[in-house]
Amino acid sequence: MAITMNIEGLAELSEQLAQLGEKAQGVAALGLYEGAGIMVEEIKRGADTIRTEEFHYAVFPAVTQRLPTPEEKAIVQEAGAGIAKFQKNGSEVNTSVGYRNAGYAELKGKSVPIPKIVNAINSGTSFMKKQPFVRKAATSGAQKAEAAITKMIEQKFDEIINNK
Amino acid sequence: MPSEYEDLVSALKLTSVPFAEYAWRTRPEGAYGVVALEFEAGRLDGDGAKCDRVWEGSIDLFYPKLSDRSDLIEEIEETLTETVGNSWELNSTQYENSTGLFHVEWVFQVVNTPEEPEPEAEGDS
Repeated sequence: MAITMNIEGLAELSEQLAQLGEKAQGVAALGLYEGAGIMVEEIKRGADTIRTEEFHYAVFPAVTQRLPTPEEKAIVQEAGAGIAKFQKNGSEVNTSVGYRNAGYAELKGKSVPIPKIVNAINSGTSFMKKQPFVRKAATSGAQKAEAAITKMIEQKFDEIINNK
Repeated sequence: MPSEYEDLVSALKLTSVPFAEYAWRTRPEGAYGVVALEFEAGRLDGDGAKCDRVWEGSIDLFYPKLSDRSDLIEEIEETLTETVGNSWELNSTQYENSTGLFHVEWVFQVVNTPEEPEPEAEGDS
């Protein structure tokens, strides 16, 4: 599952970045790092809200689907979302936030990939009730991240221009 | 409840897949679906009130046979287009090793515009 967010087409920002010349990519990367940090925080807050149960009681509306166990929640909380290495391509800077390279965890004596546990909680399965915490964070955090990126770029732009 | 969502649920219940809202009490044999409205995805404020609210929800389809695939997916996507327009996307496709079920997930967004309150009758002062 991927939610893509593009920061582009902001006329003022692109004019400012064009004035910076060679330093533009570095400033854009700084802004992106700020935004990615906010997305990570949002996902982290979402992971704290996951509902759990030790045993599955057959109570409606979750008769056929159980909730994650506290151990599964602890694995997701401990792993935390990460920020991928920045890809710089011309004037573009790209990154992704998520659990893709979170590694493996020990669960019931087996080694299970953490992205798989996150996916089972986020998208649900035929036997686990879905709790879309990553999707919710991506939807509600997008505006905050966009604002943070714009603020950071403008701040750095002012610093560089004033020091010239 | 947004009226578009209610339309969607009633349209989905007319398809060839059995659909339930939120959860199944007993899991049906063969293919089945779940539709749910999940959270507020955005809103537009004005005049000190919420003017428009956007709700996000999802449709899950579970099916055991790969041969069911194209028919069921097409049917649900057509239903989505008819009821909520273009505001949906195919979010993920998975396969469950332990149960042998395929799982397809769609995400949709619907707008809920609250009804305007009736103008208050002018009382005698």
